[in-house]
Amino acid sequence: MRFGLSRLILLLLVSLISLPGCEQPPVQFVFSKKTNELMPEAAKPVKEALLKQFGNPFALNQFEDLPTDFGDIQGTVKSVETTEKDQPLIHFQVTGLENTYHKLQGLPLEWTSGKGQGQVSRIKSYDYETSTVTIEKSAEIAPQPGETFLVECVRLQQGRDLYNRHCMHCHGMSGEGTGPTSRYLNPPPRDFRLGIYKYTSTKQTSKAQEADLSRTVKDGIAGTYMPSFKLLTDDEVSAIVNYVVWLSIRGEIEKKLDDELFLDYSKEQLSERTSEQGGETKEEVLEELKEFMELDFPDTLEFATSSVAEAWEEANLEDAIVIPETPRVPDTPESRERGRKLYLSDKTKCATCHGPQGRGNGTATHDFWTNPATNQKYPNRGLHDIWGNQLSPRDLHRGIYRGGRRPIDSYRRLFAGIKGTPMPAFGGSLSSQELWDLVNYVMSLPYDGNR
Amino acid sequence: MGKGWCLFFLFWPVAAVASCAMAPFVNWSFPYNNAQAASNLGIRIDGLFYLILVITALVFIGTQAILVYALWRSANNRDKRAMQIHGNHKLELIWTIIPGLILLFLSIYQMNIWADFRIQKYFPEAAVKAPLAEVTGRQFEWRFRYPAIGKKLQQKPQSDDLHSVNELHVPFGKPVLIQLRSDDVQHSFFLPALRVKQDALPGLQIPVWFEANKPGIYDLVCAELCGWGHYKMKAHVIVESESDYQKYLKNLTQQQFYDGLGKIASQEASVESEATEK
Repeated sequence: MRFGLSRLILLLLVSLISLPGCEQPPVQFVFSKKTNELMPEAAKPVKEALLKQFGNPFALNQFEDLPTDFGDIQGTVKSVETTEKDQPLIHFQVTGLENTYHKLQGLPLEWTSGKGQGQVSRIKSYDYETSTVTIEKSAEIAPQPGETFLVECVRLQQGRDLYNRHCMHCHGMSGEGTGPTSRYLNPPPRDFRLGIYKYTSTKQTSKAQEADLSRTVKDGIAGTYMPSFKLLTDDEVSAIVNYVVWLSIRGEIEKKLDDELFLDYSKEQLSERTSEQGGETKEEVLEELKEFMELDFPDTLEFATSSVAEAWEEANLEDAIVIPETPRVPDTPESRERGRKLYLSDKTKCATCHGPQGRGNGTATHDFWTNPATNQKYPNRGLHDIWGNQLSPRDLHRGIYRGGRRPIDSYRRLFAGIKGTPMPAFGGSLSSQELWDLVNYVMSLPYDGNR
Repeated sequence: MGKGWCLFFLFWPVAAVASCAMAPFVNWSFPYNNAQAASNLGIRIDGLFYLILVITALVFIGTQAILVYALWRSANNRDKRAMQIHGNHKLELIWTIIPGLILLFLSIYQMNIWADFRIQKYFPEAAVKAPLAEVTGRQFEWRFRYPAIGKKLQQKPQSDDLHSVNELHVPFGKPVLIQLRSDDVQHSFFLPALRVKQDALPGLQIPVWFEANKPGIYDLVCAELCGWGHYKMKAHVIVESESDYQKYLKNLTQQQFYDGLGKIASQEASVESEATEK
């Protein structure tokens, strides 16, 4: 026999060895580059705070004070399965979770009555068919029939699952824009962690409305790799948007904490401070850091959280939307001509970037520009966005409108600029009529016959 | 060879025929629970499919029956040795001419359907005169461009064209023609419910016509592996009455020329939810 018994055993062994490899690897939200550039003693509390407030992709955490729909669901214990003493898990049947999202694994479960009131357990597994929840045993809890609990982050988990299925492969597990397919894309997928979105209906200083993000998900962004997800239901889209905003909030809070610490406690700063010129010892720096962590860090964290949360709440108010003061000026040759003059004028300087013919080849695209974040020149000619990507001004003849092709979309682009890009806001300097003239001119360009 | 082997060779063709016969009842057949095609042309195409299925089934069963019979006979007659023969003109003629005739019959028989579906000269005149929309496949979505209400679709985009993405509305009960294009790589416009499939090639504009015979929401998928996001390229074709279709176009016009004032945004939401409920 060629294929002997020993080989058969080997084959079986190989498959046995590969079995544990199928287990889900632990997945964690990544931290930003800046956090990792902090000295380890300063980075640790930042990471701990983020972990406490947001958890990890497969162990989400609820943190109140955020404008996020966490979707807490109340449930009641129906019966508890008796288990051996040395069993590490408790299984119990519940009521109240029948009409909710069916994947609850990894979510926090807070006891609201009984012995364990106030304690938080993690759901190890959940069987939707039999309504059976499994948690780890602990001394503080002893579920009894009739006791109530809250399952937290159910809505967030639904958004996470949809996001991981449809969006994660480009936008990344933490919304950092470096998923496995991102390397094939130009323009690169958005990094959500700055909390800045380009195509919004809101004023220059406001964040994006949920409706703006929903529209982007539903209609896609023409001219980029962001496809339309129109076949998702409204509920699914809003769950995704809820999760994406939550990822943004996480990134923004991280950035605010980093900014606070970076000036004094980055790795670079540490080596400078402990050098001969700096004259401090490492112990002194650590002592100062410790003091800061005890006295100021909690407030910093709270302030960062509340300011980010507030900004997102404000963006969804009605008066954050750009609404033109006057209806669209009729699209006449005269209006287009007025728009053309404005386009070429020094008042708007449109032509500097978009070029005198609107081909996106203005003189600005030949200059070296300074990165406002680092105060250094970019290595390449041309304009850049705040994500550090090179950005060419739009060729207005192509008839592709990334932020939507309605006149109001172009109006809002002009009024509030494009956030995160050098496209400025003209809401203050131009009147409503002038903006409409510009819209009429710009929107006529793709059809002007000289294509 | 023993009788066990005869049974072995009998088992497989029987299993194959049984699983084919079972297929429609366990949802392994035509899409949407083996539903009838949603277009008259599709029903004719299905007719061709069934014709070919019957012919091949008869040939398959016949040859397998002969094979098993031959095995069985020689298993019962072990004394007689098998005989080597080299060539049999008569037999070869038979098994060349009969399949040849079958193929010739099929190719002539299907000509009308093929011509109706693909030869531009035979396209329904009404559809050719006023193409419904331009359909553009791009990585990874379908984009649609309708002419403005009362106007004709032009080769080049017009300022009053209506645009939508991943949702094509089509009036029901009349043939429509779309101009199929691709923005980047090869895609394929596939309406499984209507049995329509046509590749979209970059640089070409390919007319495709179809006529839905019942209203409904049908899947439009890409049937040509077009990249890593191929699976995402799914849209809906919504077949509705002429009046609903006109209403949709009107609404699309209002939405597209919305200047931020007035109440169109709320209408938009209600129409969308109606479409998903249907």
